[in-house]
Amino acid sequence: MKLKKLLHLGLALTALSTFGTTLLSAKSTVQAASNQTFTRMEKDTIQSMDPSMIVDAISGQANLDTMDGLYRYNGKNIEPAIATNVVKPTNDGKTYTIKLRHDAKWSNGDPVTANDFVFAWRRTVNPKTGSQYAYLFEPVANAKDIMNKKKPVSALGIKALDKYTLQIDLTQAVPYFNSLLAFQTFFPQNEKFVKKTGKKFGTTAKYSLSNGPFVLKGWTGTNNTWTEVKNKNYWNAKAVKLNKIKVQVVKDPSTALNLYQSNKLDDAILTGENAQQMRKDPAFVPRKQSRTTYIEMNQKKLPEFKNEKLRQGLSLAINREEMVKKVLGDGSIVADNATPQGIMENPSNGKDFAADAKAQDEAADNFDKAKAKALFNEGLKEVSKKKITVTLLHDDTDSAKKLAEYLQSAWQQALPNLKVTLNSVPFKTRVTRSTNGQFQMVLGGWQADYPDPISFLDLFTTNNDYNFGKWSNSDYDKLVEASKTTDALDPQARYNDLMKAQTLLTNTQGVIPLYQTVEAHLVNKKVKNLKYSPQNTYNFVGTYIK
Amino acid sequence: MTKYILKRIVWIFITLWIIATITFFLMKLLPGTPYTNQAKLSADQIRIMNDQYGLNKPLFTQYWIYIVGLLHGDLGTSFQFNNQPVTYLIANRLGPSIQIGAQAMIVGTIFGILLGAIAAVRQNTWVDSVATFFAIVGRSIPNFVFAVILQFFLAFKLHLFPIALWDGFTSSILPTIALAMAPLADTARFMRTEMVDVLSSDYIELARSKGLSNWQTVAKHALRNSLIPVVTIIGPMAVALMTGSMVIENIFSIPGIGEQFVKSILTNDYPTIMGLTIVYSAALLAVYLIVDILYGIIDPRIRLSSTGGKE
Repeated sequence: MKLKKLLHLGLALTALSTFGTTLLSAKSTVQAASNQTFTRMEKDTIQSMDPSMIVDAISGQANLDTMDGLYRYNGKNIEPAIATNVVKPTNDGKTYTIKLRHDAKWSNGDPVTANDFVFAWRRTVNPKTGSQYAYLFEPVANAKDIMNKKKPVSALGIKALDKYTLQIDLTQAVPYFNSLLAFQTFFPQNEKFVKKTGKKFGTTAKYSLSNGPFVLKGWTGTNNTWTEVKNKNYWNAKAVKLNKIKVQVVKDPSTALNLYQSNKLDDAILTGENAQQMRKDPAFVPRKQSRTTYIEMNQKKLPEFKNEKLRQGLSLAINREEMVKKVLGDGSIVADNATPQGIMENPSNGKDFAADAKAQDEAADNFDKAKAKALFNEGLKEVSKKKITVTLLHDDTDSAKKLAEYLQSAWQQALPNLKVTLNSVPFKTRVTRSTNGQFQMVLGGWQADYPDPISFLDLFTTNNDYNFGKWSNSDYDKLVEASKTTDALDPQARYNDLMKAQTLLTNTQGVIPLYQTVEAHLVNKKVKNLKYSPQNTYNFVGTYIK
Repeated sequence: MTKYILKRIVWIFITLWIIATITFFLMKLLPGTPYTNQAKLSADQIRIMNDQYGLNKPLFTQYWIYIVGLLHGDLGTSFQFNNQPVTYLIANRLGPSIQIGAQAMIVGTIFGILLGAIAAVRQNTWVDSVATFFAIVGRSIPNFVFAVILQFFLAFKLHLFPIALWDGFTSSILPTIALAMAPLADTARFMRTEMVDVLSSDYIELARSKGLSNWQTVAKHALRNSLIPVVTIIGPMAVALMTGSMVIENIFSIPGIGEQFVKSILTNDYPTIMGLTIVYSAALLAVYLIVDILYGIIDPRIRLSSTGGKE
């Protein structure tokens, strides 16, 4: 009897839940169809809404959606936001005097003033805040000394000349400073609100304040879904067409694909096999990331790597086309240079920096097994070795392992006098060992903080902390230095310096570039005017559903 | 009985302290820093940050600060989620994991007991073979395979359930089923073996000879006596289920705790690693205590306090 009762209960529960689900799914279809709601996904949840503390791209995007800085990226163009116009610096590129618009408001009704910027910047640079992005402020006068506790935060090179005029002083001209001003770490903060919320600031939607196109709702600090609702108080609210952006955390690429195909997502991010499978789909949109993956060879640990021919041999032995198609397969593209595509254009003809560099490189992305072997053997002779054994350090993720195995087999096939062993470690271990120089070769990479080739080229100057391989070339150092000093204010001269430096780096293979990451998206055709910036972020002002 | 439970609780606290101490020092051996942006921080910047977060202090001082905080119920704040108290993080994320785990536990054990009992009663018939087949399938196929199959057919193709996302009871059904398969299979196996044994004992023969029907005999006499091994496995199984499954949570986009544990270790989020270890251990120790008490209730021959040996 009891058994029967249990069975009946089970059946009844199943029937009820099925009925409930049907009702629920019917309801959500209707919701999705409702006007101007854009549903997208992120691969992880927001970690913080405190502009001083944000380090990850997801929190960065949520911040861009709900906040306005001095400038805003619209596609690849920088446009004024809280600033009335994009200003030209004075005093040899070291002083920026920026007028702020009078109609910008916080979502609590306060006006956005110059003091909000002064407060925010001081707070980020203050070592007590513990911001991981404080170093981005290093070009601002006195920032370094403040971080090292040698000067008070009030010494920072930013001041409010009046309620709506801001003056920023730099230690030297910074040609990419405008793109920093469009980055969330440089956004304003409402002093009253930050002080009132204290430690809770930016930990949930309730403790976040907006001055941008949308207001954050429903983020509890740890949950997987949140909504960004149109901010009616936004100074440019007229330009905002979307009423709502619904964001859902989806970690599994197959789930993302299923949700997209069931019309539960308007924009899905795919990886691995799913990305490969959907590459031909008309909704497939590859989004180039400002990230290059490359190999660094530690010249301190293995002095043989000082030999240029050995390095060139290693690079020529890699068939990058095959690597990106067969090993990665997610739409990522071959990197000919350490600097990825899409972050700078030639001021005279608008040509992409990376493409321009490729045309001038002798060694870029050339796969030539015979030449690789010949160069490698010549190199061996020059360093008086018959054979060398090298260990490649890499992350323990599936994709890094696959890539390392591919490289190992490519090298060993092309270069009989080379033996490669692999060492797979967790990400943090790889980073620590790279920093401490405990590796022979490392599979690493760099994601630009700001879209400018200097973000990459700076890394390989002689005394740079991140020059893990310790490759050193005085001509290269001079070129990079010139781009920052004598040629900083002349866009074409600066471009030429950077181009020469890039070509030099590639030709001597100071670093072996492998690929540029591309994020594979499926985007609903009904979504229009969806702008993606070189900072790898969306600008939803102006986006609409047709 | 009360004395026994009190003694056990004292031991639970001592064990927790030992676990916390070992984890604390082992965790500090992990290479790297807890900073997400570590790859871009120079040695100087890391030093400034360490000063700020007290990570430059001698290890034993850090340990002392942590233990004192712990005694005041303060698990610290997460590095990964800036300024988020670990207690809040765990409390929020534990809910969905406990719900799915508990549902999977209930579904798994109830159906497992039924399946095992039916198989034992119909021993060596086709019913038994089918039940055994189910048990083998449930045990040998990993739960994420079930998850993907269920998601594809029942949600994506037939639209009977949500594909993913945490939105009410319906969204918990598929992950519950996927998670319940292994405990169902385990329970069924243990149940069947034990019940086959019990069914051949003398008192069952007696019950039958008194004229009780087959099912009445099973329900009134055999079931309870077959439950001991099931109760033994239920304890650890419950903890494993309720502390979350990273794979299932990822497939169904559930904001659970399973993934958080793995991620906190990978990101060196020290306070979260400690907090979760302590919560997991406390749950496991509590469940063991409950199981031991349950033994006594199911089988009064197991005396908890008098012998003191059955712990």
